[in-house]
Amino acid sequence: MFRRNFFVRYFSLLFILSGFFLSSNAGDTVSISTRQEAINYIHNIKTIAPSSFWPHLKPEKFLRNVLEDINNPNALYQGNNTNFCGYAALTYMPLHYDPLGHAKKLIALYQYGEVLYGKAHLKPSAAVRNAAGNLVYKGALDVRGAEQMWLLTLADHFKSYLNFFNRKYKAGDENSFWAGVSYGKFNRMIRTLLGYELHARGSDLRHPRLGDIYTYLQEQLTLGGTTIVFQNNAYLRKKAKGKFKPGYPTHFIVLQSIRKINDSLITMTYWDYGFETLRQVSPAVLKKIIFGVTHVHTNLPGNEKVIL
Amino acid sequence: MSHMFIQTFPEMKKLFYSLALLSLMSSCATTNMTNYYNQNQAQLDVIHKSFKELYKSREFSIEFNDKNFEHIFLEMFTDTLRYIYEFGINEPRLKDTLAKFNLAPAKTIDLITRMKAIECKGVSNMTYYGDGKESNLVFMAIKKKDIRWPFTPQKYYVLTYYDQPQYYDKDGRLVDNRSMKRLKKLNGDIFKRVNSRVAYTISEHAR
Repeated sequence: MFRRNFFVRYFSLLFILSGFFLSSNAGDTVSISTRQEAINYIHNIKTIAPSSFWPHLKPEKFLRNVLEDINNPNALYQGNNTNFCGYAALTYMPLHYDPLGHAKKLIALYQYGEVLYGKAHLKPSAAVRNAAGNLVYKGALDVRGAEQMWLLTLADHFKSYLNFFNRKYKAGDENSFWAGVSYGKFNRMIRTLLGYELHARGSDLRHPRLGDIYTYLQEQLTLGGTTIVFQNNAYLRKKAKGKFKPGYPTHFIVLQSIRKINDSLITMTYWDYGFETLRQVSPAVLKKIIFGVTHVHTNLPGNEKVIL
Repeated sequence: MSHMFIQTFPEMKKLFYSLALLSLMSSCATTNMTNYYNQNQAQLDVIHKSFKELYKSREFSIEFNDKNFEHIFLEMFTDTLRYIYEFGINEPRLKDTLAKFNLAPAKTIDLITRMKAIECKGVSNMTYYGDGKESNLVFMAIKKKDIRWPFTPQKYYVLTYYDQPQYYDKDGRLVDNRSMKRLKKLNGDIFKRVNSRVAYTISEHAR
């Protein structure tokens, strides 16, 4: 009886935590707006008034940062030692496929202190508004006020069980569970903010059953759209030597390519931390590190009328 | 009163002495680190200088990823990509890869050997912004050799090397600037003075 109850509870919990979302539509990535349109829009604005909502963000630097992100979306940086990787991986999509829409919303958020973005009404708390522009020793994020504003706002708005015990921002919480992103929350954020349909397999606790993980990832990439992998980054950095190592996912990356060099070596290219990275792993390590694969059909936003 | 209590309960006595020893050990951390630096200064400074020199030809970092210091992660940056490779330190392909990326193989392998000799876990460059101005420091983590409680993470002595003399408050803690209002925290850790251009901390973060 005890064993049955235990299994029922265990699997119920896994089901709740996991992001089993299914959809059938697939297609190539479609850009809603172009980079040039976004650049022209920002150039036409020229200047904006200082915002009372964001006391530590100077308007010139803010606009410059928005423009930098549009010009070089891959340079978006989550900051050293923060828990912002999920929000950064998510932002990869609007920066690449709808830079104009994203720029408009960032500027509205700066000017009004709140914005309707997709289906989410983003209205960051006063603590977060005071923190934006004040994050330091996070590498390039230190001098990117617009990115600080955006990442803090997302972390403040979207909550999951990981954030249960720490829901109100305090200084330094960008490194804590306050900013943590579970797999379910990540997928929810994509659907709520960006309106894309997605196909997600995985969870926060156990590896998804995907058959041959290399073949599965390759199939996702051939579908077009954007493929995001939820993985254990710490495992990648330590040699296990066959010992049991408990693992849980810690990091979101945007997968760009994957190629088998031989039976024992796979080369994958992905985006994270403001860089495109090429890394070689064995098939066994690849299987151990992956906890979730989300394929986003970045062709069907359908809800682009939301700026205040 | 507490003395009587300890005499009455021998278990409490043991606990008391254990706590006293722990407190003594933690208070010795500063002395230990300064001593460690003074004893190993020559080796540490050679690693620092060698890394700085090689870094001019290619942005890179090295990190040992096993207990025996036999395998490394080699991270190298080009204009378009960051490459992360894993090598055994005696593998021939390490030399080939270094040459391909314009990192002097003999000097780099010498650096790796020196790191292994003092159990230096990793060396990397870190960019930071003081008053909006970009600066760089060299970040070096050395495995801390002491008794570890079960289920506690490995800790490292972390040394940071700066190009310019730094500001420290009256307690020897690294601070932002002359106004000394804000502690300069890297990876969330507070650093203390070794000398004007070198600061240290004890941390779980090796990079």
